[in-house]
Amino acid sequence: MAEEYDVCVIGTGAGGGVMIDQLTAAGFRVVALERGGRVGPLDFDDDELKNVIRDQVFSPHQLETYRFDAESDSITGRFSHLAHCVGGTMTHWAAWSWRFRPDDFEVLSKEGPLAGANLADWPISYDELEPFYTKAEQDFGVAGDHTMNPFGAPQKTPLPNPRHPERVSAKKFAAGAKKLGYHPFPVPKAINSRPYGGRPRCMYGGACRAYGCPIHAKATTLSVSLPRAERTKKLDLRIEAMVYELPVDDRGRVTGARYLDAKGNAHEVRARHTIVSAGAIGTPQLLLLSKSNRFPDGLANGSGQVGRNLTFHHHPSVVGVFDEDLRTYAGFESHAAFDDLHASDPKRGFIRGGVVGELNTFTHQPIAYSVVLAGDHRFGSSWGAGLKDRIRAFPRTLTLALIGEEMPMEENGVDLDPEVEDRFGLAVPRVTKRHHENDLAMYEWYEKKLMEVAEAAGAKHVAPGRNPEVHISKTQAQKGNAHNHGTARMGNDPSRSVLDRWCRSHEVPNLWVVDGSFMPTTGGYNPTLTILANAYRVADHFIREAKKGSI
Amino acid sequence: MSHEDQRRDVLDRRAFLQRGGIYGAGVLVALHLPRPEAARAAAESTAPVVLSQAEWATLEAATARIIPTDREPGAKEANCVNFIDKALANEDAAAVPLYKGGLPALDGVARTRHGKAFVELTPAEQDAVLGDLEKGAAAEWTIGGQLPSPVFFETLRVHTIVGFLADPSYGGNADYAGWRVAGYPGPRHRRGGFTPDQVEGKAPVVPVWER
Ligand SMILES: Cc1cc2nc3c(=O)[nH]c(=O)nc-3n(C[C@H](O)[C@H](O)[C@H](O)COP(=O)(O)OP(=O)(O)OC[C@H]3O[C@@H](n4cnc5c(N)ncnc54)[C@H](O)[C@@H]3O)c2cc1C
Ligand code: SF4
Repeated sequence: MAEEYDVCVIGTGAGGGVMIDQLTAAGFRVVALERGGRVGPLDFDDDELKNVIRDQVFSPHQLETYRFDAESDSITGRFSHLAHCVGGTMTHWAAWSWRFRPDDFEVLSKEGPLAGANLADWPISYDELEPFYTKAEQDFGVAGDHTMNPFGAPQKTPLPNPRHPERVSAKKFAAGAKKLGYHPFPVPKAINSRPYGGRPRCMYGGACRAYGCPIHAKATTLSVSLPRAERTKKLDLRIEAMVYELPVDDRGRVTGARYLDAKGNAHEVRARHTIVSAGAIGTPQLLLLSKSNRFPDGLANGSGQVGRNLTFHHHPSVVGVFDEDLRTYAGFESHAAFDDLHASDPKRGFIRGGVVGELNTFTHQPIAYSVVLAGDHRFGSSWGAGLKDRIRAFPRTLTLALIGEEMPMEENGVDLDPEVEDRFGLAVPRVTKRHHENDLAMYEWYEKKLMEVAEAAGAKHVAPGRNPEVHISKTQAQKGNAHNHGTARMGNDPSRSVLDRWCRSHEVPNLWVVDGSFMPTTGGYNPTLTILANAYRVADHFIREAKKGSI
Repeated sequence: MSHEDQRRDVLDRRAFLQRGGIYGAGVLVALHLPRPEAARAAAESTAPVVLSQAEWATLEAATARIIPTDREPGAKEANCVNFIDKALANEDAAAVPLYKGGLPALDGVARTRHGKAFVELTPAEQDAVLGDLEKGAAAEWTIGGQLPSPVFFETLRVHTIVGFLADPSYGGNADYAGWRVAGYPGPRHRRGGFTPDQVEGKAPVVPVWER
């Protein structure tokens, strides 16, 4: 009979990478199954056509379908912005690294129920996660100055690295924000502002978000967690291993995983525990593919909640043109933000909110800028002399945007597409997503606020980034969302959640889920430091309990 | 925005995508589209590979109206037509039929209207033809059933912009023409990045082609 590992981890992204690192360090023998291949610094360059426009580097076999709601037809393509490779989606992340605030863990208690939304409290508090936020910040070398944000989460230990240089665009943004009485601060970034953790200082190359870091100054599970795990010799990492089923024994326990290699040949591994971290799109796909007599609706899905409550963040944005070169092609995605407008205030006509920042998402390299922003026909003709003039404004153009908390809705989610199959014949994930009224009201309100900030900052031409025909669209569901959460929520009630407070399945005692799917609500901050911190928390629990022999 | 508006917005997007041009789904939606890797080697030559001499000339003239030449170079000087020819030979091969059908049809509109090839029209006449293709308003467009003129136009538009601003090794952006116009100093990581002073605006930035 095949060797039995202590643990099988599926997916090497944020959640999976931390589990692999922590469990191998504690001496467990881990087999990791990753559907993608290995990419590394030598594959990473600044070529916008290859990396962004054609996306040939990170996720060559990704396929999914999208529909607006259950009544709509679906379309086939690649809507989630993912990286299917060793290191997962962090490989090309932008490394904004926030702690959620204490109220983000108790949205239902704080706000009360909201019609049409499926609000929930987290089964854990901020205080419980706090030490693991510290651990994540230390391991991933977060740089910044949390004392400058009076509205941020309380923090006992300072960030391990000093703040980065303030880009010209960030100075403008900060000046505008201050004029309006706000408190701008440097965005906390898991990017080295000095040599740290055996990795070099950032070289501010500009092409950062949606690109791999050619020198590993950007902290990712690829640059931090997996090298450490490989040195322990406790890790068997198998790449191009597409897991298609989690088999169960007659006691209802997972026995490991079945996967297809690059040629489509099937293999099986056995493990005492299985930790799924395939991302909030990949995890429900895999659980729903794993049907058995005992779990006819998919593994761990007795509650029917697997794949439901999918949330992204939404990003109302404005674009402003200034008189001078803002150096947005240098640095990294975002250098400055403020949190003054973050707190929930029902008087605004919606609940919850988010953080506001300056960013170079469309203004760090000229193709996406010119096609999407300069070529936007609301600003004049999308070709000819007008287009050329707007191309000239490239280095003077700045985007401001919100990381807006979205309301979870039970009918938004991921299931198996009944018609579309991938190259192996597996049903692809079907994303169903529309916005709650609260999201739309939040969108409108922040868009106005962002206009004020851009004007106060000295922008000459300010326009909403929104355009139903471009990327920054009001209905963003199709636009390549980068933040995915909620499709295997944790909670105390097994009839309303998939996972318990330790991210262990309510139904299957040796099955755990640690990617973004566990999050009941999304906060108004980028999610990944929270995914990392939670994985450290789960690993800590797992190791303690396993040593006691109680799991 | 009501849910009905939301739904309509999505449906509009869908229609847009369907006429969305070669990078439509890529740039405008997910910023990516699966494509095979292909060499840039072909771009080392500036001789036509996929296009005939006549198609090349028509396309070059059309790109020159998308990004016109003024006090600074435009698509013609940047050799966007060469970028498109080489892309069609490689990653964008799926768009070959679109150009093989669309370029003669474009010329056909010019000939029916003015009795002259597209390349012989004045810039204003050329703009009028292209503007009608963009709007789907050229009655003389003969292959409408198979290829709506807005689809052809959008592909041409996006391809021209990409050819103007992609790395010169892909065959366009000749002599960094596009990057000069955009004020983009070029990719930096392989050259040591930017200093903190440059990020903060305290030191000048020298474009990659001046070093
Ligand atoms: C361009 C971009 C910028 C971003 N910037 C930020 C940022 O600045 N700050 C922030 O907080 N977040 C950011 N994010 C989001 C961040 O990347 C994600 O939140 C994070 O990576 C999610 O981690 P995860 O473990 O849930 O999933 P992932 O990182 O997506 O990992 C899932 C892994 O599972 C693998 N997998 C999936 N299915 C299978 C299967 N069936 N078998 C085997 N393996 C499988 C995948 O290949 C992948 O490696 C960004 C995302 C993008 C796209
Ligand atoms: S800007 Fe810094 S972190 Fe980003 S890719 Fe460049 S060196 Fe890496």
